[in-house]
Amino acid sequence: MHPRTRLLIRKIIAHSVLITVCALILIPFAMVVLASFRKGNFPPSALLMNPDQWTLDHWKYVLGIPYREMLHAATGETQLVVPTVAPLRWFLNSILVSSIASFGIILLSGTAAYAFARLRFWCRSQILTGLLVLQMFPQILTLTAYYRILNYIGQHFPWLGLNTFPALILIYLSGISINIWMIKGYFDTISPTMEDSARIDGASRFQAFISILLPMSIPIFAVVFILSFISMISEYPTASVVLQESANRTLAVGAYSLLDEHEKLWGHFSALAVLSGVPITMMFLLCQRFIIGGLTAGGAKE
Amino acid sequence: MVLKNNSNPRTAMNDGAVHITDLIKTYTDDRGRPTFTAVKKINLEINNGEFMVLVGPSGCGKTTTLRMVAGLEKITSGTISIGDRVVNDMEPKDRGIAMVFQNYALYPHMSIFNNMAFGLQLAKKKKDFIQETVSRTSKALGLDHMLERKPQALSGGQRQRVALGRAIVRNPQVFLFDEPLSNLDAKMRVQMLSEISRLHAQLGNTMIYVTHDQVEAMTMGDRICVMKDGLIMQVADPLTLYRQPENLFVAGFIGSPPMNLLKGKVEKEASGLVFREAAAENGVVIPLKGPIEALAGKVLGKTIVFGIRPEHLTEESKNGSTTPVSSTIDIAEPMGSESLVYLRAGTGNLIARIHGEALYHMGQPLTVYVNLDKVTLFDTETEGVIQ
Repeated sequence: MHPRTRLLIRKIIAHSVLITVCALILIPFAMVVLASFRKGNFPPSALLMNPDQWTLDHWKYVLGIPYREMLHAATGETQLVVPTVAPLRWFLNSILVSSIASFGIILLSGTAAYAFARLRFWCRSQILTGLLVLQMFPQILTLTAYYRILNYIGQHFPWLGLNTFPALILIYLSGISINIWMIKGYFDTISPTMEDSARIDGASRFQAFISILLPMSIPIFAVVFILSFISMISEYPTASVVLQESANRTLAVGAYSLLDEHEKLWGHFSALAVLSGVPITMMFLLCQRFIIGGLTAGGAKE
Repeated sequence: MVLKNNSNPRTAMNDGAVHITDLIKTYTDDRGRPTFTAVKKINLEINNGEFMVLVGPSGCGKTTTLRMVAGLEKITSGTISIGDRVVNDMEPKDRGIAMVFQNYALYPHMSIFNNMAFGLQLAKKKKDFIQETVSRTSKALGLDHMLERKPQALSGGQRQRVALGRAIVRNPQVFLFDEPLSNLDAKMRVQMLSEISRLHAQLGNTMIYVTHDQVEAMTMGDRICVMKDGLIMQVADPLTLYRQPENLFVAGFIGSPPMNLLKGKVEKEASGLVFREAAAENGVVIPLKGPIEALAGKVLGKTIVFGIRPEHLTEESKNGSTTPVSSTIDIAEPMGSESLVYLRAGTGNLIARIHGEALYHMGQPLTVYVNLDKVTLFDTETEGVIQ
C-alpha cells in the first residue's frame, strides 16, 4: 500500500474515534441545553426543535423571575407563576457552602499534610494508612449517625444543628484524607533544604511553612480546591439529609426535588442543570492560572 | 570586593571557634526507637577563622555533623559550642551561623533581592540597612544586575553565588558549606572554589566545609577532618594528612591516584629483611634497607600492609635508600608533565607517577625503584600506622 494511502487510512480511523468520543460527551450536553429552552416539561430528547417551541420560561423559573404560563391553549387562559423558593437560591446556597468548605479543606488538609510530610511523630505512617482506609468507606454509610449527632447538637447549639449550613460544612470537612494524601505527596517532592535554609534565616517552622512551602505549593492547592468544590456542588446524599427545608437546599438536592415522582419538571431541571455548570466553569477559569508547573523551578537542583 | 560588615563588630577573638565534644547522633523511627547511629562520639576543635573541611565517603556522618552545628538536626548527646556559648538547644538563627546547601536551596518564588534579604527582613532590620547590605554584597559577587530576577532565570553558578550572598548578608561567625560545588560543572566548580577561598581570606571567618571529594578537601582546607562510619579517622593539615596518614583508611582515601597498598609479611633472609607480598606465587619482594629496616624489625613475621605513594616509585634510582622492583606495564596514561603507569608486579598491581619524556607501552618491562624513606607500614589488625 502506498504510504500516503496508509497515512490517510490511519487519519480517518483516528479522527472517527475522536469524533465519536466528542459526540458522546457533547450530544447529551446539547440535549439538556435544548430541553431548557423548550416549551413544556419534556425530558431531553431530540437535537432538533421547532422555532415556535422556544421559550425562556424555564430559565425565568430558575432565576426566580415571575412569568405567565399557558393553562389551556384553546381558551388562551394563562397563570402567573412565582416559584415559592427560586432555584437560584439553591444555587447561591451551594456556592456559599462549597466555597467555605473548600477553603476549610485547604486549611485543614494543608496543615495536616505538612505534619505528615515534615514532622516525625508516633504512629505517623499508621495514621496515614488509617486515613486512606477510612476514606474507602462511603460517607453515606455514616449518614444516620450524622443525623442523630446533628439533631443532638442542634438542641444545644441551634446554629450547628440540622438544617444549618455550618453543620453541612462541618461534615464536608471530615472527608479530607484523600486531599491530605495528595498535598503530602506534593510536599514530598519539594526539597526540605529550602525550609532548612529559611530556618537558618530566622524563620520559625510556621513562618517557613507559610512563606516558603505554601507559595511553592499553590498548584496542588488549586487542584484540591477545584476538586472539592466540584464534588460539593454535586453532592446529594449528605446535603439531602442535613438540609431539609426548601429554602436551605443546595443545588443537587434542589434539582432533584424538581423531578418529583408525580410531576417531573424536566424543563426546569434542565435549566438548573445548565446553570450549575456555571460556577464550576468559573472556578476552573479562576484556578487554571495557578495550576502551572515550574513554580518550584530554580530553587533546588534535583 | 568589600564584603566586611561593620555593623556588628565582633568582640572576643574566639567568637567563631567551634568545639564539638563527645557528639553522638542516633536517628530514630517515628516511635523514637533508635535505628541508626550516624555520628559516634566525635571530638573536634575548630579554631576561630579556620577553614575546616569534613571529608569522607557518603554515609560517614559529615553532613549530619554539619547539620547539628547548624541546628537543623537534634543532638542525641554531647555538646557543640560556638565561641563560648553552648548552642545545643539554640535555634539556628541564634547560633551565628549561615549555611550554603548543595542544591542551592533558594526560594524559587522570590526575586534574588528577596532571597538575600529574607533573613534580614525576618530579623526586622531597617529597610535602608537591608537595601544597603544586599546591594553591597550582590555587587561584590557580581549579582547586582540580576537582583529582580527569579532563581529560575539564573545559571547553576549564579544560583550558588546567590546562596553564598545570602549567607554573607547574615554576617555570621561561622559559615557552613554542605557540598556546595557538587552540582556545578567542572569549570564552574574551579571558579567557585577560588571564590570561596577568596571569601575566606577576606572575611577571616571560621568556615566548615563538607565534601566527599578529597581533591576539593586538599585544596581548600586549613585542616581536614577525615571521617568514616561516624568516626573521625584523622584531623590534620593537608600535607600531614598526605605524608603521614595515621591509618589505612586515610592512606587510601587521600591522594589521587591512591597510595599503593600491598598486604604481606616482613621476613628475614640472608641479605637482610624483606617485605614479601602475600600471594600464592610470584609475590612482590621488596628488600628493606635504611631506616625502614628498624621499623620493619618490630613486626617481623606479622601480616602488615606496605604503603607507598605512586610518586615514590621512580624510573631511576635516586640517592638514599631505594630498592628496585621489576614489573610489566599494564596501562600507561601519559599526561604531559608526567605519566601514570599501571604496573603488574608479581601478582599485584602498582601505580607509579613517573616524570619523564618517554612513552610507555603495554607489556613493556619496567624496573621501578621504591623510595624506602617514603614507605608507610600499617598494622592489618588495628589498621593504624606502625611507628
